[in-house]
Amino acid sequence: MILNVATIICAEQWRYWMRTKVAATVLLLGAILTIAALVVNAFHINEAAHARDHLQTEAEQRFKAQPDKHPHRMVHYGHYVFRAPTPLSVIEPGVDTYTGNAIFLEGHRQNSAMFAEQRQSAGLTRFSSLTPSFLALVLAPLFIILIGYGSVTREREAGTLTLLLSQGTSRWELLLGKLLALITASSLFLLPLLLACFYVLFSNESALVVMLFCLSYVVYFLLWATVVTACSAIFEKSSVSFTVLIVIWMSACVLLPRLGSSVATNIAPSMGKLEADFKVEEKLRSLGDGHDVNDPAFKKLKEDLLAKYNVDSVDDLPVNFRGIVAQYSEGRQAKVLNEFAETRMSEELEQAQIARQFGWLSPTVAVRSISTILAGTSLETHHRFLREAETLRLDFVQALNKVHAEKLDYKLDMNRNASEEAADKAVVGADNWSMLAEFDFKPEAGSTRISNAFIYFVQLLLWMGLTALLLQAAVRRLNP
Amino acid sequence: MQTNSVICADALTVRVDDRTLLDNLNFNVGKGEVFALLGGNGAGKSTTLKTFLGLMKANSGSATVLGHNASTQPNQVQKSVAYLPESVTLYGHLSGVENIRYFLSVAGVDKSDDDMFAALRKVALQEDSWNKALSHYSKGMRQKTAIALALLRNAPVLFLDEPTSGLDPAAIDEFNALVSELAAGGATIFMVTHDVYGACQVAHRIVLLSNGKLTGSFERAGDTPIDTEAVHAAFAGRNV
Repeated sequence: MILNVATIICAEQWRYWMRTKVAATVLLLGAILTIAALVVNAFHINEAAHARDHLQTEAEQRFKAQPDKHPHRMVHYGHYVFRAPTPLSVIEPGVDTYTGNAIFLEGHRQNSAMFAEQRQSAGLTRFSSLTPSFLALVLAPLFIILIGYGSVTREREAGTLTLLLSQGTSRWELLLGKLLALITASSLFLLPLLLACFYVLFSNESALVVMLFCLSYVVYFLLWATVVTACSAIFEKSSVSFTVLIVIWMSACVLLPRLGSSVATNIAPSMGKLEADFKVEEKLRSLGDGHDVNDPAFKKLKEDLLAKYNVDSVDDLPVNFRGIVAQYSEGRQAKVLNEFAETRMSEELEQAQIARQFGWLSPTVAVRSISTILAGTSLETHHRFLREAETLRLDFVQALNKVHAEKLDYKLDMNRNASEEAADKAVVGADNWSMLAEFDFKPEAGSTRISNAFIYFVQLLLWMGLTALLLQAAVRRLNP
Repeated sequence: MQTNSVICADALTVRVDDRTLLDNLNFNVGKGEVFALLGGNGAGKSTTLKTFLGLMKANSGSATVLGHNASTQPNQVQKSVAYLPESVTLYGHLSGVENIRYFLSVAGVDKSDDDMFAALRKVALQEDSWNKALSHYSKGMRQKTAIALALLRNAPVLFLDEPTSGLDPAAIDEFNALVSELAAGGATIFMVTHDVYGACQVAHRIVLLSNGKLTGSFERAGDTPIDTEAVHAAFAGRNV
């Protein structure tokens, strides 16, 4: 019976929205925006994925097509690796929008990811990025408020609430009906996102991950619909209900997420890029110049090597000493670079985790955390990409250094700058460039991502409990 | 008029914060009786009505309708009564017919279109306005729509809040005739009003309410309406 009456009230609320041009316009606008964002983003990601495939193939072909060369020139020629987007990044691009998804691999240095969309635009346009997740997490609640803030106050202000309750309609039936109407209206904004998730189900993404991803958004919309209905029932006037809801929206969707970032950078400050780069350079300099075999930093290496092969001069070594120095130097540099990179990544992660704790204060932050982690577009995934790319870089550079040490004669190498002819002789065959390993980055396994998102599901659960209590309070306070 | 009690206030007291809105009210309304609660602004008329409708709770004593306590069994009370609010507040975006259909459906009352049209004819609402949006209705037309709704509820008890307020004299006469007809058919009518003349014309009994207390009572003798002058004197005297 309670559902029967609630359905009648829900249908009447829909009739009101449809006959009121403002509400119908808001509904239509919201639905169009969501669909547009999804379609544009899907096209964009699809196009970018194709471009990435093309660039990756082209980079590999160009590298392998290089003629006979000095192996160290190939170390500096470098190579690009790209990260393919995850299926759910169509909805939740996460950190991908500003971290970039391509890395240039070269000797002696770790490059950061590049080709991020936002880096190509001015800073001021960042807010205008209409991704489906931004729409669902930030703008959709505003639409829900716009159509629902007066759903109960309108009845009270018009006096129909008394008449409605005097018909034997219980307060629960009334609020449930209004809530049902708002939930179904909200689903207009959510439906395109759910359809996109359904499409993702046919990709290689874990079904459980996709379902939990959908569930988090469904719960998020339910939370907002409940808060809006409850506020509309608690406050006597539509103007008060609207003001309070806008303040809640501003706090939850705009201020708290930004406050989270600010607090995180204050609690766990990280070194600025300039300062970090300076320190890295300083440390690397202390390791010696890998291009100079006479650098004092390699004296012991030289002695050990001579002793090992029982020879008196590097000229008599069975390996190219320059190649050995390059290998040795690259290994030590990589260690230093990795130490700095790990420190920077742990600082970034600490900041992200502090910011995510604001999910206890804002459901938007909680769902955003779940969304990025499950979509494989979180900071953790990006860090994995950097680590895997660094492993590949080191393997790639060291493979070239190995070629340098084993396949290029030391004397020819040392004599390479004497003349053009000598330079032409100090090369190795192009067949050595086929050592390039394929890079196929995959996000964490579904179970790992679900387990990483667990605590944020607990945050969401807390919000569900709180909104249920709010609804109960609204039922108690609902008076004509 | 029959004497078995349909509506009963037993030491009914309602307080909000530290204010006593109704103070120890006692009365009974019998089946088929038209009972008018007369009082000035702030006397407690609407509070009495809301308490009997189960929309406010009694702090002590009880308000019962057909044996159901309005504070503890509001749904049973609401299912068995029809209520006509003071300023008839139906939905402006719906037509008269749509309004009636909606309120009947939430009340769980199943009526055919023919029943609905018969009720609208009975209250003399012009047929060409039935399907127009209520926002185009005059106050009298809205009142008639709400009365039609009350009739269709087939409720044995009707609560009327200032039912003739804002109506023209002809509409008031029509309304009074309808109330008398309903009472003659066995319906119990409980109205709150400050219209002394109107109450005397239609009520079997008038009870005066001032500052939440009952201050006087007048009863009709046979077919002779209650003496307007006597009621007015008592009413004005209490409010001077």
